[in-house]
Amino acid sequence: MSQTDMKRQLSDPASDATDSEDMEEDDEYANYYYDNTDDLDIDKPKKTDDPEYFEYTILQTEDAERLLNEEVERLCSELKMSPSLAKMLLHVGQWQGEDIIERYQQDQRKLLTESNVSCPKEMKEDSLVGSSPGCPVCAECYPRDKFMGLTCGHLFCPHCWDMHFRFQIEQGITMGIECMGQKCKILVPEDFLYSVLKDSKLRDRFSKLCFMDLIKGHPKLRFCPGPNCSVIIHAKEPRAKKVECSVCKSTFCFRCGIEYHAPTDCDVIKKWLTKCADDSETANYISAHTKDCPSCHVCIEKSAGCNHMQCSKCKFDFCWMCLGDWKSHGSEYYECSRYKENPNIANESVLVQAREALKKYLFYFERWENHAKSLQLEEQTLQKITSRINVKVMENEGTWIDWQYLQNAAALLKKCRYTLQYTYPYAYYMDKGGRKQLFEYQQAQLEAEVENLSWKVERAEITHRGDLENQMDIAEKRRQTLLKDFLEV
Amino acid sequence: MTTPARRRLMRDFKRLQEDPPAGVSGAPSDNNIMLWNAVIFGPHDTPFEDGTFKLTIEFTEEYPNKPPSVRFISKMFHPNVYADGSICLDILQNRWSPTYDVSAILTSIQSLLHDPNPNSPANNEAAQLYRENRREYEKKVAAIVQESWNDDEDDDVEEEEGGKTAS
Repeated sequence: MSQTDMKRQLSDPASDATDSEDMEEDDEYANYYYDNTDDLDIDKPKKTDDPEYFEYTILQTEDAERLLNEEVERLCSELKMSPSLAKMLLHVGQWQGEDIIERYQQDQRKLLTESNVSCPKEMKEDSLVGSSPGCPVCAECYPRDKFMGLTCGHLFCPHCWDMHFRFQIEQGITMGIECMGQKCKILVPEDFLYSVLKDSKLRDRFSKLCFMDLIKGHPKLRFCPGPNCSVIIHAKEPRAKKVECSVCKSTFCFRCGIEYHAPTDCDVIKKWLTKCADDSETANYISAHTKDCPSCHVCIEKSAGCNHMQCSKCKFDFCWMCLGDWKSHGSEYYECSRYKENPNIANESVLVQAREALKKYLFYFERWENHAKSLQLEEQTLQKITSRINVKVMENEGTWIDWQYLQNAAALLKKCRYTLQYTYPYAYYMDKGGRKQLFEYQQAQLEAEVENLSWKVERAEITHRGDLENQMDIAEKRRQTLLKDFLEV
Repeated sequence: MTTPARRRLMRDFKRLQEDPPAGVSGAPSDNNIMLWNAVIFGPHDTPFEDGTFKLTIEFTEEYPNKPPSVRFISKMFHPNVYADGSICLDILQNRWSPTYDVSAILTSIQSLLHDPNPNSPANNEAAQLYRENRREYEKKVAAIVQESWNDDEDDDVEEEEGGKTAS
C-alpha cells in the first residue's frame, strides 16, 4: 500500500464514523456515571425529551460582576487593550466576544469607528484656538495642557467634563455618555470618566448604574423581576424559557422577563396582554363568578378549579364553559376550546364582521380568564391537601411519603392548567389551517385530561392512588406533546 | 451673584454683539439674564422672507449642560413648531451639546425655517401641506408673516398674538 493510500484510508469517512461512535459510547458510559443524579431527582426534567428544559444558574451580584470581568479580561488579553475599552466594545457588540475579536482582527479601525469608540482620522479636529484658549463650554481661559478630550479631538476643561458627567449620571446614562462636541457621538470610556470625576458618591452611583446597564445589555443575563430580589439569572442560551428564581420563587420567561407563557411566544403574549388591558371594560361582564345550573337553574358559584361541574341540588353534570351536558363532551373530543368561526364571514357587512371579531376575542378571553381563576382556586386546593396530609401524618395514618402523591398531583394539575391557559392567546393569533386544527385538537385533549385530573384531585381521598397517578401521567404527556409540537425555540 | 450659567450667558451675549450672525438678534431681558428675547428674520428665498419672528429663551442654572427652552412668541406656521410656539429640534433635545450657545441656537432655528423636517411633525396641518400642497402652505405662511409685522407695532413681547385684524 502506498503512502497516499494509507492517508486516504486514515481519513476515510466510514472509519472516522466508527471512531467517533466508539468515542460517543465511551462518553455515554461516562455520562451515565456522572449524570445519575438526574435519575434520583424526578422533578428535574431531562434534556432530551422535555421541550421546557432550560439550563441556567442563579448569580449573586458579585458572581455576575466576576463573570462580566472575566469576559472583559478575555477580550483585553486577546486584543491587548484596556479593560475600559474592552468593556465598551462588549457592551456595544452585545457581548459577542468571538465576533468582536474576529471583526477587530479583520479591520480594527472599522470596528472602533462603528462602535463609536474612536473617531476616523479625517474627522478629528482641534477645537481650541490660541495659546491660552477659552473652554468651548464655560468660556474660561486655561493653559492648553489643562484641556482634556477623547480621540475626536474635542477638548474641554476638566470642570466642564465633570459637570457633563454629573448631569448624565443624574439622568441615568452611563455606558451611553457621549463627548460634549456638537453632533459628536464618541462614547466616553470609564477610565476617562474616573480620571475626571472625583466626587466619591457620584463615582459609586456611576458604578452601580453602569453594572445595571451592562447586565441589561447582556443577552445571557437578566435581573430577577421578583419584588426586592437582586439576584441575576445566567442562562446558557438566551431563550424564551421558564426560569424559577431559587431565592424569591418567582417564575418568569427568561427572554422577556414577564410571566412564563409557553406555548405562546414573547411578542404574541405582549400583544395579547395589551389587548386584554385595552378591552378590559368589554370583558368585565364575563368575569362573574356565578352561573345558573342549566338543568334546575339554581345559582351556582364556582369554588374550585375544575370545569366539570356537578350541581349540588339536582346532581346534573355540566361544563362550566359551555353549560352543556358534560357527557356530551365524550371521552375523545372536548369541543369547548375550539372557536367556531362564521364560515361566510368574508361576505358579511363591516358591522357583522366587527361583531364577529369581538365575539372571537371574548371567546378566547373567557377561556383564558377562566383558567387563570381556576389556577387560583387550585392553589387553594393544594394548600388544603397539604394541611390534610399534615393532619393524617399527625394521626399516624401513614407517613408523609405515603401521601406525597396527593401533593404531587395538585402541583402537576397547576402546571398543566398554567400551560393550558397560555394556549389560548396562541390559538387566538394563529392563522386558520391545518396547523391550527392540529393545535386545537391537542388543546382539546389537554383540556379534557386536565379537567379529569382536576375532578380527581378534588376528590383525591376517594380516588384510587393508581387511578390518580395514571391520570397525572396522561395529562402531563398531553402537555408535553403539545409543547413539543408547538413551542418554538 | 455670578454662577457658571450666568458667566456663560454673559459670554454668549458678548459674542452675539461682537460677531452677530445674519438675520438673528437676541438680548437678555432688562433685569434677568436667564430670560432672553430674540428675533429671527425670515430667511431670504423662503416663504418666511421679511417676517420678524419673536422668541423667548429661558435658561436654567444647569445651562449649558442642559438646553434652554425656546419658544416662538409670534404666531408661527411651520411643520416643526407646536401650537404653543415650542420647537421640535434635535439640538434642543436629545442632540444637545454644551458647546451650543445662543448664537448657534438662533441660527439653527433660522435654518429650520429654511428646511422643515416633515417627518417629525409638531404641526400636522403644516407638515401635510408642506408635503402635498406647497402653494397652500406658502399662503398660510404668508399670513403669519403679515401678522409678525403687526406684532412689531406694540413692543410688548410678553403679549401673545392679540385680537388684531390684518390690514
